[in-house]
Amino acid sequence: MLAFKNIKKSFGPKQVLNDVSFDVKAGECFFIIGASGVGKSVLIKHLVGLLACDSGEIWLDGEEISRFDEQQMGPVRKKCAMVFQHATLFDSMTCAENVALPLRKHKDMNAKDALAEAKKRLAVVHMQAFADRYPPELGDGMRKRVAIARALTVDPTYVLFDEPTTSLDPVSARRVDTLIRELCDKLGVTSIVVSHDLSSIFSIADRIVMLYKGKVLKIGTPAEFKATDNGIIQQFINGRAEGPMDL
Amino acid sequence: MTEAVRNPRLHALGAASIELAEIVGGMGVLLARILVRIHKFDGEELVKNLYKMAVKSLPIVAVTALFTGAIMVIQAAVIVKRFNAEGLLGWGAGFGTLREIAPLLTALMISGRVGANNTAELGTMVVTEQIDALRVLAIDPIAFLIVPRFIAILATLVMMTLFADALALFGAAYTGQGLLGVEPMTFFNGLTGGLLDFGDVFNGLFKSFVFAFVMALASCHFGLATKGGAPGVGRAVNASVVASAAGIFVLDYLVSFLG
Amino acid sequence: MSATTETHPDPSPPDASEGVEAELGFVGSIGAAFLDIAVAARELYSVFVRTLYYVFRGKRVKGAVLHQMNEIGVKSVAFICITMGFIGMILVYQSGLQAKRVVPDFTMLGATYLELLVRDFAASIGALMLATRVGAGIAAEIGSMVVTEQVDALRMSAADPIDYLVVPRFLASLVMTLALIVIAGTVAFCSGAATAYVFFDVRPDIFFNMQLVDVGDFLTGFTKCMAYGAAIPIVSSWCGLSTFGGSEGVGWATTRAVVNSSLAIIILNFFISAAGFLIFPG
Ligand SMILES: Nc1ncnc2c1ncn2[C@@H]1O[C@H](COP(=O)(O)OP(=O)(O)O)[C@@H](O)[C@H]1O
Ligand SMILES: [Mg+2]
Repeated sequence: MLAFKNIKKSFGPKQVLNDVSFDVKAGECFFIIGASGVGKSVLIKHLVGLLACDSGEIWLDGEEISRFDEQQMGPVRKKCAMVFQHATLFDSMTCAENVALPLRKHKDMNAKDALAEAKKRLAVVHMQAFADRYPPELGDGMRKRVAIARALTVDPTYVLFDEPTTSLDPVSARRVDTLIRELCDKLGVTSIVVSHDLSSIFSIADRIVMLYKGKVLKIGTPAEFKATDNGIIQQFINGRAEGPMDL
Repeated sequence: MTEAVRNPRLHALGAASIELAEIVGGMGVLLARILVRIHKFDGEELVKNLYKMAVKSLPIVAVTALFTGAIMVIQAAVIVKRFNAEGLLGWGAGFGTLREIAPLLTALMISGRVGANNTAELGTMVVTEQIDALRVLAIDPIAFLIVPRFIAILATLVMMTLFADALALFGAAYTGQGLLGVEPMTFFNGLTGGLLDFGDVFNGLFKSFVFAFVMALASCHFGLATKGGAPGVGRAVNASVVASAAGIFVLDYLVSFLG
Repeated sequence: MSATTETHPDPSPPDASEGVEAELGFVGSIGAAFLDIAVAARELYSVFVRTLYYVFRGKRVKGAVLHQMNEIGVKSVAFICITMGFIGMILVYQSGLQAKRVVPDFTMLGATYLELLVRDFAASIGALMLATRVGAGIAAEIGSMVVTEQVDALRMSAADPIDYLVVPRFLASLVMTLALIVIAGTVAFCSGAATAYVFFDVRPDIFFNMQLVDVGDFLTGFTKCMAYGAAIPIVSSWCGLSTFGGSEGVGWATTRAVVNSSLAIIILNFFISAAGFLIFPG
């Protein structure tokens, strides 16, 4: 169980999150949507302690984690893996070394075993052929898949995805969608996906929260979003340039 | 307060001192964080960095040292000719080389090659969120990234100084032969003839250790403090080499007078 | 000036070059290194020639040179004064120690120091400092413009980046290097005189002894100022202009600028010193 309660966050004079609350159920595929710059990335960074909120609470499996320090955050981060918007692999390591790093650090494996295990895990995302390549040599979709493999090494119960399909070609994007859906269905992982990719939203989301002007505009299933008569939501999910939404 | 705002020079001076205090404070905090974790460095990263820093710097250290030795002989040559004391050439060029010039120039070159590079790498990792990615994997960036680099820079500079000492003397000896007709044997006799001892070599090595210390701290600090995309990385590298150079000269002074 | 060696930017993963070395073998990699140097030398030469061409032929943007003189010169004054002040104290202290071991006679300490300062140390150590501050600054600035495609935009508007970016820095550096090195020498001399007074009881009026400084020393020192003043902006601009690949590329360019400018100074120093010694022996 994960819950955000009354989260507020500003950067200087600029208030990005103004009283955001919602909760995410175990095992669901939960989407956070909203226009660019609304604060979706900022919100999920709070969950792994990369940002600290000004006020509010974050409850993760019965613990209030919003005031945890770097040390206390350790176990939380093993439980909540994160896949960054730009995949963010370590450029100086091969794909296999990238995946092996958390294994080596957290599973007490020596370098050799970790590399062998890493290759197995790359096979799960169909990247075994690129194990010894460096990330800058790969395309966006491939990097994204390696990043997912790396995030899964710590056997997380929650995985955060920041715009997993943005900047991917449609085929790679649907492959990533399938991967995320499989995580929920096969491994029982709770996925929290930041996205504004309409095809992802309506093909794999269980529930959706939409942020607008620092607040929660609506929480509901994809069907409920389609059925709503709120003009802003209709404009967003239909991708119209004209409408009541202002930026 | 209003006075200071009205007087732009005073304001600039105040801003500069605050900035300086910030940098020194930041480096102090970083040092404390490094020392707390000094025992749990990542062996693999250490080896990787030693290779990248030391082995890959060999060519430029060699070129610098050979030319430096040669230049020192040319400078000493004028005096040797004036007093007609060929036997003193080795000592004249060697003293300054071992105690001062070799450690100093090696430090400046390594600062450019290794320190700047280190800042660039760390800065890039910051602006592309790779540091955050480490934290999210519950891996401590200081223990994993900074401590091995810190140790590797210390080891690299001391080793490179020793290497530069040898090559500079070699370059000096043969320049002496080419320019002044002083046999290399005479040069080396002048070097070992009792006026110079291991104390002088050690003095130089100790200095290089101190230089490495400030360079390692500065390059890691400015790397981690990088802000603002590609231009930010450029600015960080610039700030890091400038701070290292200034730090090296100030510490050189302190060590020279205390040692 | 052509023998700058640090030419492997490889912003791609650092170990990528190992594979190349392994494939080529040792001799092959040496050959590859020489090829790299040759290519770099040609590029550097081309930047230099085009810069000279535009110095006489280019259209000058008003105030650009003045702006660069401020950036390169005025903003380096504090840095140069601090570093040269300290090095002056160290050099005199070390030479005093050195002299003490042979003949404890300090009357010529100042004269010898002044000669060395004029002929070499003021220019060379000052220029090494400038290579660090100015070289890194130029490469960082031009490199950032390259990766953010501003240089391409310049090309599209039919302005040669050499004319627009390099020439003002080149001219500013020629003038300001000379000025800064005069300041550097003065500061180093004053801090040296103070050290001599405090540690070896040499009075400043005895320390300030121009007896050994002759025309040859002045000419050698002046030549060095000019050579370094030209080399730093050319080498650094070349490093900046050959940037590629995002923030990592800018970092690499800046690093290479510092290393290559420093190497250029050391190598130029060797040739000018040797020539000076052969032309004005004694
Ligand atoms: N570290 C930061 N400092 C200042 N402002 C920030 C910072 N991080 C994000 N912001 C601002 O917060 C807002 C939300 O950013 P973000 O969460 O990245 O948007 P998105 O919803 O597209 O992911 C943006 O306007 C951004 O400028
Ligand atoms: Mg975002």
